[in-house]
Amino acid sequence: MKLHKLIKIPIYFKIIAFFHENPASIDTPRGVAAWTGENRQDVKKALLKLAELKVLTAHKVSSTTAYSFTRNSKLIAQIDSAIKKERQEGERS
Amino acid sequence: MKKIREMSYEEKFFNKLIKSDDLKKEKAILGAFFKHPVWWLIKSVKKNPPKFNETSLAQCDFCGPYAKKRGACMRNILRVVLKSKKTKKLEKFVCPNHLSGFCLPLIQGDKIYGYIGLCHLDSEMPEIAPELFVNFMHTLIKDIQKELELSKLYETIRPRAIALSTVHTIHRLISSTLDLDELLPRIARLCMQVTQSNRCSVKLLDEKRNVLKPITTIDIRSKRKLYPKELRVGKGIPGKAVKAEKVLRGHDYISVPLIDENVIGVITIYDKLGGKAFTQFDQEILMTIAEQAVIAIKNAQLYKEQENLAISSIKSLATILDTRGPSTFIPRTAFVKIVMAMGREMGLNPTEVRSLQCAALLHDAGQLFVPDEILSKPSKLTGKEYQLIKEHPAKGAEMFEPTKYLKPVIPIILHHHENYDGSGYPNNLKGAEIPLGSRIMAVVSAFLAMITPKSYRVTKTVEEAKQEIIRNSGTQFDPKVVAEFLKIIEQREIKETIAKERGHEIA
Repeated sequence: MKLHKLIKIPIYFKIIAFFHENPASIDTPRGVAAWTGENRQDVKKALLKLAELKVLTAHKVSSTTAYSFTRNSKLIAQIDSAIKKERQEGERS
Repeated sequence: MKKIREMSYEEKFFNKLIKSDDLKKEKAILGAFFKHPVWWLIKSVKKNPPKFNETSLAQCDFCGPYAKKRGACMRNILRVVLKSKKTKKLEKFVCPNHLSGFCLPLIQGDKIYGYIGLCHLDSEMPEIAPELFVNFMHTLIKDIQKELELSKLYETIRPRAIALSTVHTIHRLISSTLDLDELLPRIARLCMQVTQSNRCSVKLLDEKRNVLKPITTIDIRSKRKLYPKELRVGKGIPGKAVKAEKVLRGHDYISVPLIDENVIGVITIYDKLGGKAFTQFDQEILMTIAEQAVIAIKNAQLYKEQENLAISSIKSLATILDTRGPSTFIPRTAFVKIVMAMGREMGLNPTEVRSLQCAALLHDAGQLFVPDEILSKPSKLTGKEYQLIKEHPAKGAEMFEPTKYLKPVIPIILHHHENYDGSGYPNNLKGAEIPLGSRIMAVVSAFLAMITPKSYRVTKTVEEAKQEIIRNSGTQFDPKVVAEFLKIIEQREIKETIAKERGHEIA
């Protein structure tokens, strides 16, 4: 599934928006679940998918995997406009 | 959410008041009672005329359609607003059309946030109604204030909590490795991420030469590997930070010395994203990471020293084993070198490669329990003698059992004579049951044994030995390992090593 479709799913939107608003953050699934108020297992799956799409960078160590926001400026611009569009649609509905 | 953050407290207050469900309910109740009341809400009476909710006033069938009457109505409302401002209480009034209304200042403590009022009340107002409305509004104002205070607290605490969680995560990430080659690039990448900078360098101090050695330099704008030069202490930004033993921060850099008891190095970040200036917050977070990095680097250095010590001891032991006699001899340097190269190529991590190195050095240690005359016997071994030889992997594994450091090495030693088809010893393991290290060592050991000159048999050429390995692929040897081996021995460095062991130059 591509980014513009994923972002319509609430959990993906929350995670992407969290990292978009906090690009300096590096956190584990447990942390991201706390910031987004979502279930940890669901967050874990979503984080894996977002890392596959290179929206997030995975920092894997033996005990956990931490995630941070992409540094790719083109991708960040795409995410920025996708979030704005999604918010506008949300306000309209 | 971003919009709300940019609003003033008063704007937020009004926003919440207008959107309040409780106020909507109150309007519905009063609307049912007074039939068609007209509501208005103003923030300030500094402007004359004040900005009323024009839509609401337009609903008034008295003043709405007529501009002149509307002016008179406005002045009337302004009068009552000013009166309530002065008295700080609800004030009743009658409009030019003899319809009644009232105005209540929105007060909390000494602060007046604005005024709410309603007019066009065509029913007679009961005495209790204004009092009930005042109580209702006071409760509503308190609730909104509480909500705003909580929201302010949340907005203040949340970024700090996120930053704290990030620092905690970084600590976990950097303390999870003892490999300096892995640790330092990781530190650099994490520093770049949390400070949103484009470049980071980690330099370690060479105290004897008084220079900073660049260990890791990463620039996300450059796809090529960077090769920065050594820097004399006192020169350049990192050199100055180290000499002064303090953090240096400029518009486009922050340099933080890594200080244990003495300075051990320096982390420097450059060029914040979008050309922005580095902030005090960036500096503080980088200093926190630097403190954690110092501990991680010292631990990794200490581990490396211990590891080197262990490897040196193992090498000494291997040298003693080499003196057992020519029949046990395969060229150790070449063997270890090829085995390690294969381990790396076949995806083993640095720790696993080090275990493989130890196994390669010690794999025949169990031969210490085999009598010299059997090891050096040029003729065919008897069944009993062969049985003794077959026991050497298990004896070797047993020898190193008490050494905790060698725990991952033991299975590789124990199974290095297993064959891929299950015909080997000691446990007749098959295929992937045999540790990868053992499968690698089996191929390399057989190849080197064939090309190494021995007094009791004809030495094979490299090509003949290769063909023999290929012939036994799938039976004695793992085909995947054989395929990798055939690639590895074509590498120039490996070819040179083999040629050196055979005592002549490569073709």
